[in-house]
Amino acid sequence: MGELEMEKHVRYILTIEKKKDDFVSLVIEHLRINGAYWGLTTLDLLGKIETIDQDEVVSWVMKCQDESGGFAGNIGHDPHILYTLSAVQILALLDKLDVLDIDKVSNYVAGLQNEDGSFSGDIWGEVDTRFSYIAICCLSILRRLEKINVEKAVDFVVRCKNLDGGFGSTPGGESHAGQIFCCVGALALTGSLHHIDRDLLGWWLCERQVKSGGLNGRPEKLPDVCYSWWVLSSLVMIDRVHWIDKEKLARFILDCQDKENGGISDRPDDAVDVFHTYFGVAGLSLLEYPGVKAIDPAYALPVDVVNKIIFKK
Amino acid sequence: MIMGEAGSQENSSRLLMQLEHILGSDPLIDEVGFIHPTQLMALNGGSTGSLDVSAHGSQHSSDHVVETDILQPNSSVFWIKDHKLAISTQALLPLHNAAKHAFTTALRQYKMLHNICTKTDRLVDETVSNRTLASENLPESEVMKHSKSLLLLSCDFGSAWNARKLVLSKNQQLSLFMDELLLSALILSYSPKSDFAWTHRRWVIKTISGKCPNMQEIVEKESKLVENIAEKLKMNYRAWCHRCWLIPYMAKEQMLSELTKSKQWAELHVADNSCFHYRRKLMLRIIEDSCSRQLPEFCFNHVPDLYQMWKEELDWDETLIRRFIGREALWVHRRFLSQCWIKHFVSDLQGAFCHSKNHPGISHDVHSFMYNEMQLFHACLTVLDDEFEDGQAQATLAAAYILWVSKQIPQSQGIKLEDMLRELGGLKTLLNKLCPFRAQLWDGLMS
Ligand SMILES: [Zn+2]
Repeated sequence: MGELEMEKHVRYILTIEKKKDDFVSLVIEHLRINGAYWGLTTLDLLGKIETIDQDEVVSWVMKCQDESGGFAGNIGHDPHILYTLSAVQILALLDKLDVLDIDKVSNYVAGLQNEDGSFSGDIWGEVDTRFSYIAICCLSILRRLEKINVEKAVDFVVRCKNLDGGFGSTPGGESHAGQIFCCVGALALTGSLHHIDRDLLGWWLCERQVKSGGLNGRPEKLPDVCYSWWVLSSLVMIDRVHWIDKEKLARFILDCQDKENGGISDRPDDAVDVFHTYFGVAGLSLLEYPGVKAIDPAYALPVDVVNKIIFKK
Repeated sequence: MIMGEAGSQENSSRLLMQLEHILGSDPLIDEVGFIHPTQLMALNGGSTGSLDVSAHGSQHSSDHVVETDILQPNSSVFWIKDHKLAISTQALLPLHNAAKHAFTTALRQYKMLHNICTKTDRLVDETVSNRTLASENLPESEVMKHSKSLLLLSCDFGSAWNARKLVLSKNQQLSLFMDELLLSALILSYSPKSDFAWTHRRWVIKTISGKCPNMQEIVEKESKLVENIAEKLKMNYRAWCHRCWLIPYMAKEQMLSELTKSKQWAELHVADNSCFHYRRKLMLRIIEDSCSRQLPEFCFNHVPDLYQMWKEELDWDETLIRRFIGREALWVHRRFLSQCWIKHFVSDLQGAFCHSKNHPGISHDVHSFMYNEMQLFHACLTVLDDEFEDGQAQATLAAAYILWVSKQIPQSQGIKLEDMLRELGGLKTLLNKLCPFRAQLWDGLMS
């Protein structure tokens, strides 16, 4: 088994920023702020956050803010809760939350809560448990959780629980590891994990591990590095991570590295991208891989950042 | 250099005009493809006749006078025939840039005008709306035109979807909402996972649901659309979520017909857990509708039907399990069916529907239920004899299933299942042997 190619992954992330004018980068320009969060968090987990110009990042992030208080995925686009969390996470990572008008951002997020406790992604009203997690995570980082009705928010998430122990995007939606991460994260951040049958959910999550050691996101799907994060972080939060074969999983992630040019792909020998590079490194962090900083499974930020921001340590 | 850039910019806005002319002339385009320039050349194969889109429609009376030759599609970039449109991959970048620029400009103008209109509303109300619809409509039709081109090229450009919602929410013409369903269906036909396109459809349906007389028909078509898209891309989570989302709009008859229709589909796609999940959702909803908000007697009257439905599903699932070896989705489905069966129909447990009276011909006996499941389990173990991986998977799934069922039967009931479940000790050994990399899981579940 190979080692984690830390240097090469750092170099890979630093070079993505430079490719901006091909068609592929254009069609994802609307979620550039998510990409920035994935890239920067990876750099920090690998201990190399100081290699980037932090002021430049902060001023660009602030240009993505809309007058509503929410953030867009890029300058000039419409705001959405998905991008707002990435913006807040980036600023937390760089210890620059003080540049924010905290009440303005948190009012935007709180304003998206609906009567039944769910959250819309933006003013157009689409509802998804992903948005519940994002709202709760965002407001926790900003220490403004009191701006929403937490009890109702929790009720809605619980209504999205299925008989198999998993969670879907809306009540009755199919269980999916990504949605489970969001729901478990929302319940963890609000101190409501007692709503979860840990053995039942742990069972469902552990059955995501396939023979190759990788994890899939739903029954019958191929394994994919990004589920290393979603499944593992959920298992950590419900204290069942010792139920999977960690060594096999670590090997699977390491096999997905591009050993020449850096970066991690979804499966061995596929093309790398920043998304899977982040999830691979974050997964290894949860597996306590030597040399990678520890990541918090609920906030999706390095533990030292969470300690500094949330617990003021 | 500068000359060249200006030239190419002009060229790309001309391409955009051509694209928009094609889209405007043929509102029934139902397929878009991005293909390599050499392929496109081959398609056009010298015969430029097929490119004469102005022959398709003559709605363009007013702008028609303007430079028809400029609107004549460039045959090295576009190909159109029988409502199918192909665009050269080489032109995507300039087209995207031009569309984005045109869209941004149009939206800015639209918002400016709209702000002015709302601010001066009280002063000019009647006069503004009566003055000239055309000039007022211009910015909004520009927004619609350019956002459409942009979305065809880049379906996840959220701001363009939003701009369309903005225009529509100020207009409220039902036919315009129907156009949105066509556009998003077109985009989904080649980007079946586009979250934005699915979200847009839900917004449209939510918005028209109170006002539209033929909702049932729309929901039916919508369900059919998901089926078509799910056929092209298997296990498409977003598509099936959308179908599940439709269920509350369905009447009972429609739910029953959806169950029938999806049954055939499921048989042809036994690995697609999402389709089985859709069935689960329908079945749960039918139970809910028959029982929860009704009087107990009403519920009681429905029990034979519900029992029959569940029994048939269990039998059907068993047939599929025996026919398709080692398919996880079939066993996931069985876990659900057994769980609900035990909860609702088994009388000596907490069966919610069993009350005091019994229905003739309905077995409420947990022992006979378990007996059947154990039979199935043993049958699946014999497949182990063959050396194929599927046989191993089947045995693992069967053993894990028995473990699952045993956990559904509350121990407090003091039922004499020990005979059957005595094998549980052996079950752990078996699971460890069949699926050693999950040893920690089996240990955690059975200690
Ligand atoms: Zn992935």
